[in-house]
Amino acid sequence: MNSFSTSDFRRLVTDYLGMAVALAALITVFSLSTEHFFSATTFRTIANQIPSVLLISVGMTYVLVIAEIDLSVGSVLGLCSAVLGVALTKWGWPLWLALPAALGAGLASGAFNGLVSLRWRLPSFIVTLGMLEMARGGAHAVTKSQTQYIGAAIEGIAGASVFGLSLPFLLAIVIVVVAQLVLSRTVFGRYMVAVGTNEEAVRLSGIDPRPIKLAVFLITGFLVALAAIIDTSRFQSANPNAGTGFELQAIAAAVIGGTSLMGGRGSIVSTFFGVLIIAVLNSGLAAVGARDETKRLITGAVIVVAVIVDHYRHRLAKGKGT
Amino acid sequence: MHKRTSAFSRTLGLATAVSAVWVLAGCGPKEPAPPATPGKPRVALVMKSLANEFFLTMENGARAHQKAHAADYDLIANGIKDELDVSKQVELVEQMIAQKADAIVIAPADSKALVPVCKKALQAGIIVINIDNKFDDAVLAASQSKFPFVGPDNRKGAKAVGDALAKKLKAGDQVVIIEGAPNAFNGVQRRLGFEDAVKAAGLKIVSSQSGYWETDKANQVVAALMTEHPDVKAVLCANDSMALGAVAALRAAGKLGQVLVVGYDNIAAVQQLLKKGEVLATADQHADRLAVFGIEYALEALKTKAAPADRETPVDLVTGETVSGKP
Repeated sequence: MNSFSTSDFRRLVTDYLGMAVALAALITVFSLSTEHFFSATTFRTIANQIPSVLLISVGMTYVLVIAEIDLSVGSVLGLCSAVLGVALTKWGWPLWLALPAALGAGLASGAFNGLVSLRWRLPSFIVTLGMLEMARGGAHAVTKSQTQYIGAAIEGIAGASVFGLSLPFLLAIVIVVVAQLVLSRTVFGRYMVAVGTNEEAVRLSGIDPRPIKLAVFLITGFLVALAAIIDTSRFQSANPNAGTGFELQAIAAAVIGGTSLMGGRGSIVSTFFGVLIIAVLNSGLAAVGARDETKRLITGAVIVVAVIVDHYRHRLAKGKGT
Repeated sequence: MHKRTSAFSRTLGLATAVSAVWVLAGCGPKEPAPPATPGKPRVALVMKSLANEFFLTMENGARAHQKAHAADYDLIANGIKDELDVSKQVELVEQMIAQKADAIVIAPADSKALVPVCKKALQAGIIVINIDNKFDDAVLAASQSKFPFVGPDNRKGAKAVGDALAKKLKAGDQVVIIEGAPNAFNGVQRRLGFEDAVKAAGLKIVSSQSGYWETDKANQVVAALMTEHPDVKAVLCANDSMALGAVAALRAAGKLGQVLVVGYDNIAAVQQLLKKGEVLATADQHADRLAVFGIEYALEALKTKAAPADRETPVDLVTGETVSGKP
């Protein structure tokens, strides 16, 4: 795994070609059916919209790889956003103090998810479901259920851009690359896959899986907090309902990218493709002016088809291997 | 492994959990249910989603009113977690019937599904006042029941907002509408109101899509539409949360100031935007008084015993010039 060989390259092609083709097909369809979809503006718009969902999906992919799940990501985003918004407006904190507070809220939520599910050996599905409620309740408690308008104080984060690409997008790309390298090229990444494949075997070979799991929940909490900061800056306001349903978007993106819900298998780059496919679909359907029921039918169908295609791709890859 | 102790510990755990929930839910000894003082009417307020700023303001307004008129009536206020939890709201009404409330003031989460249970309340001799979201006329007719509706005319309010926008545009200009949730009565009414204004001014709607009341969804739709229809001159949003999303999309596209935005509800967060002119206009339905109107009407009906008629409550247009000094 140390040097980049031809087999690596072949795997790269089989892994990502399918999704690249799917993405290209979607872009072609929308380009042909609308006047202005195929333009730099569209892609810049999409690039500036996806960072928060992308970061959450990266976290979700990690959690799924270790055979756990985090249903609380959307609510935790709402909580972090609420803390940030209220700290800046009601408490009059400066940005350099409010940002760590938001990140702290994300890390604390991640720590709670990890520690509780590990200490009492509870399914993360249940613990994070509880966290989903608690974090949303917390977001409403902190903001008193009122959207906080922040304004220029926070504009700079999402407003800054290089070559028309926003700072959050560039940050998200860096995180995607780092997260992929960590997953596929480091000991920690190997352990994650091992824990997700067979936790008992990991334990029996003398490695404690718990610190690995806790780290993954913490990483997810941190990424969610980053996503919250980005969204809060983009809207210059903190809405206690922000992030509702993001957990399902993130799971959808990861699954489209071939991440297994059973653990042990996942790729950050594939998840990135999953996020792109959903974003292009959303943007294209809005540009076409599709009716709401059509939008939902198509989006749902694309997720199912993607998973079916992934199933066959895997059988094919396995068949070749033996 | 721990079979012997598990049954006990499980029971203990369950008991602890139940009592914790009981205390947390405010059923603890600290906060007793309003006593049934003879002669003093008990009004039950059954609210929609308390996760929504608008409804929370409504409920707080009602609580403040009750405090100021504590001698006149007792208030039992309840709400559901989110607007989709229709069955929970049906349960709430059933509980209020069982508690023998004198009047029920309800903001139905669904304009059809709540009709049968409210009819049950009516048959139990309880006065039922419909606020916020009007019951569906066809269902009311089919179930042969009638409840007075006390609330704002969303269509008229949206028309006023649309008219204020139209003054800044000229005939033939392109606009887009960002609708509320497609199954919400007030969302539909606001869309119709916007359409009335657009038609009157000879504007052209190039797209009308739902943003499901949410900042994020509205942002996605508006961003896509700005690229597809570069000549759009204005975005009409069915609530202010979506207007915030629209403003963010315009800022990202460098079109802030060139494309006008209007919203609805006058939430605190848009007031700065109104002053800056990034949002041109919104409508204030006086959320803090909406439930109060319903309660006052119920008390009146309890006194007069007359079959009450519908009553319209005021909606005010708010623009950068008229915006109040609310924080």
